[in-house]
Amino acid sequence: MSEINNDTDFRDALESLDDVNQRQVAALFVEHVLPLSSDKRLERVVKIAADVDAASEEVAGALKTAHAATFESHARCGAEGHWSDQAGYFVARAAVAATTPVENSRAGGPAWQAAMSARMAYTSMLIENAPDQSAHTECEWQYQSLSDYLKA
Amino acid sequence: MTEIELLSWARGPGLQIATIIFVAGVVIRIFEILVLGRKANLAEAKGSEMSSGLRTIVTRTIPDRTTFRRSSVTIVSGYVFHIGLFVTCFLSAPHILFLKDIIGFGWPSLPTPVIDAFAVVTIIALVATLVNRLTNKVMRYLTNFEDLLTWFLTFLPVVTGYIAFHRIGFTAPSLLAIHILSVELLLIVFPFTKLMHAFTLFIARWYNGAISGYKGVAS
Amino acid sequence: MSASIEKGINALKRQVDSTVAAFFSSCVHCGLCAEACLFYTETGDPKRTPINKTEPLRRVWKSEFTLVGRVGKMLGLTKKVDDKFLEEWQELVYDSCTLCGRCSMVCPVGNDIAMMIRKTREGMAAAGQAPAGLIGATTRAVTIGSPMGVKWPALKAQIKHVEEDTGLKVPVDVADVEYMLLLSSMEIMNFPEFIEAVAKIFNKAGVTWTISSEAFEATNSGIQIGVSDIAAELVQRIVDVADKLRVKTVISPECGHAYTAIRWDGPNLVGKAFNFKVRHILEVLDDLRKDGRLKMASKETQKLTYHDPCQISRRGGVIDEPRNLIDMISDNFVEMPDPGKMNWCCGAGGGVSANERADEIRLKVFERKKAQIDAVKPDAIVSACSNCRIHLEDGLEEYNMDIPLLSLTETLAEHLADD
Repeated sequence: MSEINNDTDFRDALESLDDVNQRQVAALFVEHVLPLSSDKRLERVVKIAADVDAASEEVAGALKTAHAATFESHARCGAEGHWSDQAGYFVARAAVAATTPVENSRAGGPAWQAAMSARMAYTSMLIENAPDQSAHTECEWQYQSLSDYLKA
Repeated sequence: MTEIELLSWARGPGLQIATIIFVAGVVIRIFEILVLGRKANLAEAKGSEMSSGLRTIVTRTIPDRTTFRRSSVTIVSGYVFHIGLFVTCFLSAPHILFLKDIIGFGWPSLPTPVIDAFAVVTIIALVATLVNRLTNKVMRYLTNFEDLLTWFLTFLPVVTGYIAFHRIGFTAPSLLAIHILSVELLLIVFPFTKLMHAFTLFIARWYNGAISGYKGVAS
Repeated sequence: MSASIEKGINALKRQVDSTVAAFFSSCVHCGLCAEACLFYTETGDPKRTPINKTEPLRRVWKSEFTLVGRVGKMLGLTKKVDDKFLEEWQELVYDSCTLCGRCSMVCPVGNDIAMMIRKTREGMAAAGQAPAGLIGATTRAVTIGSPMGVKWPALKAQIKHVEEDTGLKVPVDVADVEYMLLLSSMEIMNFPEFIEAVAKIFNKAGVTWTISSEAFEATNSGIQIGVSDIAAELVQRIVDVADKLRVKTVISPECGHAYTAIRWDGPNLVGKAFNFKVRHILEVLDDLRKDGRLKMASKETQKLTYHDPCQISRRGGVIDEPRNLIDMISDNFVEMPDPGKMNWCCGAGGGVSANERADEIRLKVFERKKAQIDAVKPDAIVSACSNCRIHLEDGLEEYNMDIPLLSLTETLAEHLADD
């Protein structure tokens, strides 16, 4: 049973982590939804993000790759949108969040942003395949993962 | 025909014919535009059409900085010859006398050396616009027979007027006849060409200002 | 929709009114419009001169609506408008123009050239000369309700995600509220955070609002392809629902052409004034700011600049509002050169980004925007149109420029005061 079971506590816990730990936790979240993306480059990005000893240039390089992945996967204005492809787009966005330095990150920090995008990826997959199912299971998995990480 | 007969014809029947065609032509062209009308705008207005339209008639005269930088030759040569045309047409003594005969009143003229200078500058500016038209990539692409014809018909009166005034080449009556005939040619062709912009630009600019002003944008 | 050259010519005839006649009568071939158009300035190709794009319309005006032209037609002197000619012009009218309207601002005789290009598209579409990508988008818009095929269940799932994230309720199909929010497919698919941002801001401001499950799509492909009948049908769907729910104001989201379509073209397309107001989300937020219902708790510290989406600023009239709002969250704001109503287009609007054939030129003309950005060297760019945003990101990535694009609405929500 996870001690963290709501978004307020979840976000607070994430924001209190130091930079490297945020990156690692973010990598965890991205890795969980990696199967929803067909972009093989993201595997390497996640590996780098998860690596405690990764040099800042390596992380910067991974960020660039993740960015490129988002541009290649987003839905084009006016083109027919496929939600399964959008899942890949959000996985890429989660990877971007994971490799963004804390000072440049959007509100909530890299780990929170990665968590949000990962949930979006899961939601997108559900829209295509199981529209009535809730994406809450992904949330719960994220809460549990964070709890386990903090204990370790 | 003797040169005196030619001059008489140019001043008399020639002028009458040219004026009738000019006035009728301009009226028809403007009527052709306005009779089409435009649909009322049913969207909620953010600004006033009338005042915006009137404002644009004035403000469109001034190009914005970036546009000026990118097209300075076109803009400067254009303005110079337009101003020059205005001055030589309406502020030279012989022209004012001519108009006074028709409309009943005149106004002060500028001294001859000044008019001369304006005429020369106008000629140079007109030549510059032609060179620009033939060398500028965009203008060359857009230019058609009508552009060249109207240039020529605008150029001719300025040059023939200058020559006539200074009695270069032929005798005075011939030169004057040629000058007046060149103006009549311009008047006859005017309504059928883009020269109509002299009148229609007021309508076009008003529409532009009105359309934008309705949306709250000063154009 | 069956097409033919006769239908095309008739469509063009229907487009001629006194404004078109005044404009064509006044054009003196000065070429200034070319220097205002990024499709010319970045390619150097004179056939992309804006007034040249309107040639199909001009030929019809001349030969049908002027004495000179009609006489010329009788004498067999007119230039023809046939399939071959229109096919040649397709690339100029659709791939090389976003209807940004910068040309209309600089023409010395006052021509609204962008408007004439929009009218020219009516003829092109009726003659079957619209690009495949746009035809696809328009078909989807009519049959599915969204040019990208976004259906209500998908939006419902996005809304559920938003509700879980924020802990707020997103009102659906609620009647008698102040605002009904429209969304563009681009936002629903690529930037669902926009919905979150609006929910947060409206909740704090105590605004009553709703999204409609029957008519949520803001994008109007009919406007982009140039088929007024389709554009009208898409608008009517929104009108029907807005009337049914008795909303006071319909909100157009962060999408450029959506605003033009519903705010300025809408009532004229359906032939009736609306019973409700139409406002852009930025106008609504600015109103909240003026009323003191929008409070910020923090500011952005990075250096910001603003990209004016053409249909919202120059063609829409929403120029001051974004700046008032940026003022609330930034002390470090710099305008680009040529700001506000003279800002340069991003290059992707008006159907260009939906047209795969135009991909190359779209990226090429981005260099104009790049020059503006290079002059300012911002840390981030703020804008208010999802299409501009995606395209600017694409362009920046292409040129290895690491500058994030921020949505103004989302940024405001991020700094929203808690109390």
